[in-house]
Amino acid sequence: MYSDLITKIRRIRDRATPQVRRPFYIGLGVGLALAVLVALGLSNTETFFAMPSSFGDQATSQAIWGLKPSNLLMVLPLGAFLVVLARSFVGVKAFGLFTPMLIALAFLQIGPIMGPVVLGSSVLAGMLMTPTLLKLRMTRVGFLGTLISAIVLVLVALQGLLDTKLQVDAFPVIVCALVVERWWRQWEKDGAKEAAWQAFNTFMISVVIQFVMVSHIALMLIEWSPLLMPAFTGLAIAILGRYRGLRLSEIHRFAPIWLERRRVAKNAELPEGVEEDRRSGAPDTRRISAEPDVPEQPEGVPESIPIAMNERAPPPGGAQANSAQSEPPTVPNSEAQFAARFGTSAKLPVNKTWVIGSPEDV
Amino acid sequence: MFENLSSIWRKGDGRKVGHGMEPAPFGSLDEILGINMRNALIAKYNPRSAIERARDKVAAKVALEAAGIACTGTIAVIDDHQKLNAFKPLRDMPDAWAIKPARGSQGDGIVLSVRREGDTWYKGSGSPLTETDVMHHIQKVVDGGFSGDTVSEDAALIEPLIIADPTLADLVPEGLPDLRVICLHDEPIMAMLRLPTNASDGKANLHQRAIGAGVDLVTGQITRALVRGEVITHHPDTGTKLIGYQVPGWDRVLELAGKCGPAIGLGYSGSDIVLDKNDGPLIIEVNAHPGIEIQNICQLGLKAQMARLGEDFK
Repeated sequence: MYSDLITKIRRIRDRATPQVRRPFYIGLGVGLALAVLVALGLSNTETFFAMPSSFGDQATSQAIWGLKPSNLLMVLPLGAFLVVLARSFVGVKAFGLFTPMLIALAFLQIGPIMGPVVLGSSVLAGMLMTPTLLKLRMTRVGFLGTLISAIVLVLVALQGLLDTKLQVDAFPVIVCALVVERWWRQWEKDGAKEAAWQAFNTFMISVVIQFVMVSHIALMLIEWSPLLMPAFTGLAIAILGRYRGLRLSEIHRFAPIWLERRRVAKNAELPEGVEEDRRSGAPDTRRISAEPDVPEQPEGVPESIPIAMNERAPPPGGAQANSAQSEPPTVPNSEAQFAARFGTSAKLPVNKTWVIGSPEDV
Repeated sequence: MFENLSSIWRKGDGRKVGHGMEPAPFGSLDEILGINMRNALIAKYNPRSAIERARDKVAAKVALEAAGIACTGTIAVIDDHQKLNAFKPLRDMPDAWAIKPARGSQGDGIVLSVRREGDTWYKGSGSPLTETDVMHHIQKVVDGGFSGDTVSEDAALIEPLIIADPTLADLVPEGLPDLRVICLHDEPIMAMLRLPTNASDGKANLHQRAIGAGVDLVTGQITRALVRGEVITHHPDTGTKLIGYQVPGWDRVLELAGKCGPAIGLGYSGSDIVLDKNDGPLIIEVNAHPGIEIQNICQLGLKAQMARLGEDFK
C-alpha cells in the first residue's frame, strides 16, 4: 500500500510545474532547518520531568536550558521572526497575532512539560466555566476578570496536587485567559472543529518556537553579544515582511482553479482540429462564459447528475463546441470581452437577456 | 510564488503576469491574489479613516446615503444606555426586523425576526423572542459583545427586514441571498451570489455551507456554483437550477457597486448588495477587507483582473 502512495506522489511531482515545485522545495528546506533547530533545542533540554521546586531558587529556564531570566527578553525577537514565517509564508491560522510567541515564552518560564500541563488545565477549566459565565450576561471585562481568578485557582490547585512550586508570574496567567477567550469565540463562530484545529496549530507553533528559542545556536548568539539577536532578526523580519506572494496554504486553497484549468487544457488537446493558440490562452472559463454562445452550457448538462463538470467534460459534444470556440482569434477576443462591458451596460437589459435567453437563438 | 520575493532583491520590474490582454500561461498561480498581496493593496488604496467608516455600519450608511446610494432602511440606532433605557421594543419595533451590531463582522450578533404574534416575535428558525430577549440582545450589542477585541462600546442598528426579490427567493429554502461585488476604484472586477442553504441555517455565509455562485460581469448570469468546494448545478435543497440564472437588474447592481467604494473613500472594496422585492438593489454593507475566496467560486484570478485595469502591484 505504501508503494502505491509513493508512485502517486512521484506522479504528482512529475506533473507539477516549476511555479509549484519551487516553493515546495523551499518549504521543504525551511522545514528541515526548523527541524534541526528544534532537535538542537530538544538535545539542549537537560530534563523534561523535573518538578520546578527541585531547582531551588534557580529560575526554571536557567535550570533546564541555561537561559538566564534576564535573557528571556533576548529570545523574544526570534519568536516574532518565527511567527512572521508561520503567518505570511506558511499561512498557519492561529489564535491572535503574537499569541504563539507569548505562549512559548510562558512555556520557557514554567518548563517543557509543566508548561503545556498548566496551559492545558487552565484552558480546560476556563472552557468548563465559560457556558455558566455566559449565562450571567457579563461584559467582556468582567468575563476576563473572572477567568483570571479561575485560572489562578487552577494553578493553586495544581501546586497543591503536584506538591511543587510553579514559578508563574502574572504574565502566563493573562496569556491563558486570552487563549480561553479566543478559543470560545472561535467555537461560537466556526464550530468546534475549526476551533480545535486552530488551538492545535497555536500549540504546535508555540512548541516549535519554544525549542528554537533554547537551541544551542540561539543561546550562543545571545551569549556572544546581546545586540546580535535583536539586530539579526529585526533585519530578517524587515526583509521577509515585504513578501507579497502566495502563502503555502493558499497554493493548496486555490489548487482547484489550477487543476481544473489543466483538465480543460487536456480536453482541448484531444480533438485534432484544435490550433496551438488555445494552449497559451489558458483561462477558458472566462472566454466561454464571456462569449455570447453561453446557451451551449446548460444544454450539455445532464439533468440527472447534480455534480457535473458541465461544459468542458463531455468529449463527444464538447469536441464540436471546442472547435467552434477556437475559431475567433484569441487575443483581440479577451480585449473585446472587457471593452464590451462598457458597451453592453449602456444597452437595455432586456435586449441582453433576449440574446442569451433561449438556446434556439444561436 | 517566490519570484515576487526575489524581485525584492533584484529591484527589477518583477513579473507582470496578466498585464495586457494575454492571460498568464496555465499552471501559473500568479494571477491569483493572495492574502499578503491583498493586504498590500488595502494599505495602498484604503486610508485608515475610510476603513473605520466602512467598519461602522452607521457611519457607512450616512456616507452612502449622502452620495445618493440606495441603502437598507433604518428603524433606530441605539448607541448608549440612555437610548437603550428609552427604547421599548413592543412599542417601537415592527413585526419583522433585523438587529445588527454597527461594528460586527461576519454576521456576528445579527438577530432577525420574521413575524410577531402578540408580544412575541419569531426568528426564521421558529424560535420565539420575548421583549426581554430582545432587550438583552441589544444591551449585549451596545456593550460591544459582538464587536471584536478593540471596541468596548458599540451601536445597535435596527432595520426593517428585507424581503428578497421573488425570483431570487425561489432559489433558496429560506434566508436572504446576497451579492458580493469586488471593485477596484469604481470598476467592478468580480461578482458572486451567495445563496443560503438548510445547512447554513439561512445565512449567506460561505463558511457556514452557503452556496457561492460566480456571476458573469457582462451578462449577470450564474456561470458556476460551489458549496464547500464542490461544483453543483442545482440548489441541493430546492432543486432549482442555478447555472444560467439571470440576476434581475444587473446593470443597476454594477452601477451601485461601482459607486460604493468612492462614496466611503475606499479604493479596493467589496460591496454586499441585496435585491429587495420593492426597492431593487440595496447596499447592506461595504467591506474594506473583502475575502479572496471569490476566486475559487468564479475560477478567476483577482490579480489578473486588476492587471487588466492597469494595476502594477508595486
